[in-house]
Amino acid sequence: MKRLFIVISVFVVLGLLLAACAPAATPAPEQPKAEQPKAEEPKAEEPKAEEPMAEPTTVTVWFHSGKGEEREVLDAQVEAFNAANADIQIDAVRLPEGSYNDQVNAAALAGDLPCLLDFDGPFLYNYAWSGYLTPIDEYVSDDLKADFLPSIIAQGTYGGRLYSLGTFDSGLAIWGNKAYLDKAGVRIPTSIDDAWDKEEFMDALAKLQALDEVEYAIDMKMNYGQGEWYTYGFAPIMQSFGGDLIDRSDYQSADGVLNGPEAVAGMEFFQSLFEDGYANASPAGDDDFYIKKTSALAWVGHWMWGPHSENLGDDLVLIPMPKLGDKAVTGMGSWNWGLTSTCENPDAAWAFLEYLVSPEEILHMTNANGAVPARKSAIAQSDLFGEGGPLNVFVQQLEGGVAVPRPVTPAYPVITASYAAAVQNIVTGADVQSELDKAVEEIDLDIEDNQGYPLPE
Amino acid sequence: MAFPSVSFLVPTMTTVTSAAGGRNAQRRSEVLMAWLFSVPALLLLFIFLITPFVMAIVLAFTDQRLVPNPNLPTRFVGLRNFVRLAGDETFHRSVLNNFYFVLVVVPIQTSFALFLAVLVNQKIRAANFFRTIYFSPVVITMVVVSVIWFFLYNPGEGLINKFIEAASFGLIGPQNWLNDPKLAFPAIMFLSIWQGVGFQMVIYLAGLQEIPSSLYEAAEMDGATRLQQFWYVTLPQLRNTTIFVVLATTILAFKLFTQVWVMQGPSGHPLGTTSTTMVYAVNRGFKMGKVGYASAIAVIFFVIVLIVSLGQRIFLKEERAVD
Repeated sequence: MKRLFIVISVFVVLGLLLAACAPAATPAPEQPKAEQPKAEEPKAEEPKAEEPMAEPTTVTVWFHSGKGEEREVLDAQVEAFNAANADIQIDAVRLPEGSYNDQVNAAALAGDLPCLLDFDGPFLYNYAWSGYLTPIDEYVSDDLKADFLPSIIAQGTYGGRLYSLGTFDSGLAIWGNKAYLDKAGVRIPTSIDDAWDKEEFMDALAKLQALDEVEYAIDMKMNYGQGEWYTYGFAPIMQSFGGDLIDRSDYQSADGVLNGPEAVAGMEFFQSLFEDGYANASPAGDDDFYIKKTSALAWVGHWMWGPHSENLGDDLVLIPMPKLGDKAVTGMGSWNWGLTSTCENPDAAWAFLEYLVSPEEILHMTNANGAVPARKSAIAQSDLFGEGGPLNVFVQQLEGGVAVPRPVTPAYPVITASYAAAVQNIVTGADVQSELDKAVEEIDLDIEDNQGYPLPE
Repeated sequence: MAFPSVSFLVPTMTTVTSAAGGRNAQRRSEVLMAWLFSVPALLLLFIFLITPFVMAIVLAFTDQRLVPNPNLPTRFVGLRNFVRLAGDETFHRSVLNNFYFVLVVVPIQTSFALFLAVLVNQKIRAANFFRTIYFSPVVITMVVVSVIWFFLYNPGEGLINKFIEAASFGLIGPQNWLNDPKLAFPAIMFLSIWQGVGFQMVIYLAGLQEIPSSLYEAAEMDGATRLQQFWYVTLPQLRNTTIFVVLATTILAFKLFTQVWVMQGPSGHPLGTTSTTMVYAVNRGFKMGKVGYASAIAVIFFVIVLIVSLGQRIFLKEERAVD
């Protein structure tokens, strides 16, 4: 009897296992059920539908869950698009920004990328190089292309083909507290033509630092931590002095460029801002400039427009990047959308992307996040960025050659990680030359390991 | 014959008659049972532990990228990764940091846990209250702990600096805890001990309650003082517990990652003084996409932890007989 009991219990266990496994296969039919009412609607309009109405094409979309305003706009856009297009349904997934690149990497490794996703600027190239993305040249007409800011097209182009489009570009400049600047008697430049030079910049820092209200003359946003901000925000300082992250003639080596005398001079200048007490290497929070008002200037991008304008009101001024070396340099590039090569319905995915980059939707987004609209026709309609608008400096910088793109190479993830580590150590007081030498060594080794990142085909 | 289906399912029921044969068959079916019941666990272990482990060893000899490129397939590179590791100063630094962390944290955390366990083992009214208090940091996720301590350690407005300043009547000024190369790693150690000590305390508490009270009664009869009782009764009785606690703490300490990653970033700010082997491996593997190199780091790390654990076991020789 005992053995009988054992055998029966085995079958019971196996049965339970089967029962437990079974539901995994069943949810599939459930989903269309939920969408059926939508599919039936058009049927009523076309009574003579011979074939059953095709189920709506589902397009999976991933995007980084950025600031609240950005997220809300994108959610609204997805909803509006779904409502307007019965045959295409966007299935959008938000991923936290902090680990966004890691999650996309993991998905690529697992062959599980969605149809359409956004990339943080130059991280795109590694995916394009590895063949995970489809060029979108065929979808983008010449007229459409010409309406985009040249920086957006440059950012999306790798190996001569267009892989991505962004709905906005970024702007990096210096935000100032007008009350403090006036009190200290500092001239406020208003266009890229009368930007500060290094001497005037240092003079401004010294005068502002002397004010009683000011603890640190400039907030360099070190609270963002070691990451993309360090490259985006501080490489321009080095580039203004004449250095760069990599030799852009062939993208094969950083030697002599990232550790050359110009780059070293730039980073030593950067280091001196902290050593001389003008900038705080470890701020307690994000708000030294706009709420506590213990900093007179903030070295940060367009994304702070909301909090800055809300809290400073008429005291907020936007100052173009200073000419620290021979020329003024600032960062550019932002999140941009690319189509994956595993996408089963690229046409449907493009329809959604086309909707996102329409001038109205671009403005919808940029009015919320303060970014530079990606299309000239949208900029013309913008109160913020148009001629005389409070953020027009960003447009001037992007169109006037002040903005320099980050290196267009699949080696970018290694370049930025190595450079950010060097920046972190330099701020702490390490020797600039040896830190930059170390970064160069890492970057060159990576390029060598990848056989120089040969172009596909 | 009334239930043919049953006899079909269980042919042994009718065929096996001798007692010896029955016992044999029974043993065989029990073995079968044992395997059947372990299948789900073994399957999960195989998928989530054994496969990644074997893959790490294989990948350590390749130049595997995080995002594979079909045009540039992964190559077998022999010992290249290990040769590079031999000359990689950041890696050496990270491994040494690990040992530094273990050598400081394990003795302090273990003895502090025992101290707390003895305290909360007293028959006082609020004992349960204190047990909960000391244990509560263990329940909080390390990421949350790290973020909170990041603010506590802030040089300008952190609570810790304010407290030290007040307690020393302003003699000791604010310290730049997380940015000073001399202070950053000790600061991480301190918060790690604070977070982890409750776990070891609970294990010690269980050990303490296992000690029969008759031993203490006998010791008291012999005129032993409280300190002697602790030294000659409690400690020897806790021998196995201590071995387990030391071993577990050592392995956990070697795995130091979250605190550093959240508070000090991928390169172990400041100047690499807080970088650990795990942080370095994740930095290389996920930030820079060098999975092959990161796997080589993981393999070396595994060997180090294995040697340390084996060494401890041989050195401490756990007593197997329980009674």
